[in-house]
Amino acid sequence: MVDLLVPSVATILSQRDETPDTRTFELRFRDPEQQERFDFRPGQFLELSVFGIGEAPFCLASSPTRRGAVEITVRRTGQVTDALHALGTGDEVGLRGPCGNGFDVGAAEGHDLLFIAGGIGLPPLRGLIWNVLDERDRFGRVTILYGARTPTDLVYKDEMRVWEQREDVEFHATVDRAEPGWVGNVGMVPVLLEMVKLQPASTLAYVCGPPVMIKFVIQDLLMRGFAEERVISTLERTMQCGVGKCNHCCIGHLFVCRDGPVFTYRQIREMAE
Amino acid sequence: MSPESAVTIAREDLSEWVGSLCNSAVMIAPTSGPGGDALFSVVSSPDDVLWEFENPLQPPKQFLLPQTDPLVQISHREGHVQLEPIVDDSRLILFNTRSCDVSGFLYLQGVYTRDLPDGAYARRTDNTVLVSLACNRPCSTGFCICCDAGPFLRTGFDLQITALNGRMFVEVGSDKGRALLDGSSSLFRPATQQESAERHEIEATARRCFGPETCHFGSAMRRISTRRVPQELWDAMSDWCLECGGCTHVCPTCYCFSVKDRAVDGGWTRNRIWDSCQYEAFTLEASGHNPRKQKQARMWRRFYHKVSAQYYQRDGAVGCVGCGRCIKVCLGTTDMPAVVEAIRKGEWRG
Repeated sequence: MVDLLVPSVATILSQRDETPDTRTFELRFRDPEQQERFDFRPGQFLELSVFGIGEAPFCLASSPTRRGAVEITVRRTGQVTDALHALGTGDEVGLRGPCGNGFDVGAAEGHDLLFIAGGIGLPPLRGLIWNVLDERDRFGRVTILYGARTPTDLVYKDEMRVWEQREDVEFHATVDRAEPGWVGNVGMVPVLLEMVKLQPASTLAYVCGPPVMIKFVIQDLLMRGFAEERVISTLERTMQCGVGKCNHCCIGHLFVCRDGPVFTYRQIREMAE
Repeated sequence: MSPESAVTIAREDLSEWVGSLCNSAVMIAPTSGPGGDALFSVVSSPDDVLWEFENPLQPPKQFLLPQTDPLVQISHREGHVQLEPIVDDSRLILFNTRSCDVSGFLYLQGVYTRDLPDGAYARRTDNTVLVSLACNRPCSTGFCICCDAGPFLRTGFDLQITALNGRMFVEVGSDKGRALLDGSSSLFRPATQQESAERHEIEATARRCFGPETCHFGSAMRRISTRRVPQELWDAMSDWCLECGGCTHVCPTCYCFSVKDRAVDGGWTRNRIWDSCQYEAFTLEASGHNPRKQKQARMWRRFYHKVSAQYYQRDGAVGCVGCGRCIKVCLGTTDMPAVVEAIRKGEWRG
């Protein structure tokens, strides 16, 4: 019988700043066998402990096609994230997981895929994006739309350049407010939808970002003819256990941590709260 | 449970049997607490065990789900973090537990061992023997009869004791229960037909003694499951809630928790600690956003979890065993029967 709430030790292999308050951490279980065994779906999450401070859920931002380590991208927002940002390479943290349902990559096979992310909403989709790009032949057209408040707030800037240059990916970015040096699009994420040709009947749309962005993007997608089941998002709630026991993340009778965090828009609309 | 496998014991022999049980495991039973209230606590002598008592305000939940439950010891050794899981494998006998509380354990066992089983909880359940004392008459606030959680049990107990006129009637519900009789087999003899009949007559009488003003879940469940409880009703009811969390703490089926590290001896202990969905910070996010900031949303949450068909399907029971403790503890009168009645009638009188 597993002690669900007991973490394993992992080491911070490397870290890099994405924005002034957001950093990507590369983590590896201290036990090499455990790292070898560790498998997950994009969209699943980890419960990460900074010992003595506490535990919090973070989406796996790397792809299961790239083994050997996992990545999470964390904005400094509260006690655990503050403490995590204060740690250095080589420091040890606790990990539990993977938790949650994750994206159904198999079910996406053969479909056109549309990824729409806002701000810190890109990390949950990034694992799926790289999973798709590493197995590119299995999927139809891939379109990535990404927006943030300012160019400074865009995460994974190096990878954006790669996506921009790939011929088998259509990538557009926008910012709400330009800064000196920015020559790209200006405006909210929905302006990017004007720039792409979509076939709603054969496309799955993955939407992740701040609530207000999700709301407008989903409205837009529905108006363009997307069925509610073809619009997929991830939800966030404060969590403690991550394994469907503690009840902090419940929406109606669903656990965001266990029945989610990935839900179709139809499921989200039918939720009891 | 066939009557043939029931046994009886003379009242004067109880002391010898209970004494031997005290020596075999950690024995927890209702005892006489401060101010004359009954209290579940560890007993070392059969003389401390109460046989006639009003069910303690604190349910015995804390013995399987401690308010602070240490899970893992975190320390540093030679520059590395060391994690040592804390395993509690003490053997417990929960003795003279009332039917409602045994039903509460059955509910908790469901939520903790279904889907992803929780090792710490499952281990305690495996190491615990539940000896239930059936209720020959309803207690002052109980409505267990509405939740199929009492006054007598058909399942869930390891032993169920009924006080007959002369002797104690003991039904065996499991091998764990039978094992408690094995060491004292000379004190027990098979129940007679007459004793079985007496036990069933006592149960029938106890059931008849419940008043008509009990708790009608069916109608409340229909309304809350189909979102037909007006928002104004939640507004009015939640106005009476003082957000103390008392209802959740004394509830045998409430199990919301948080996980916190506490500093000890240069390291930390990670604990599972009781929390309450009625507290404002329960859903507070690091960003400051709180999806259930409103008190009425939290009250909705409590009763949706306990009474809705959605949860009934998931958990196989309503999240209430009719123990009536929330009636005693709630200063604002928003206890289970009162809220169920208000939902049923669509009206709150306060």
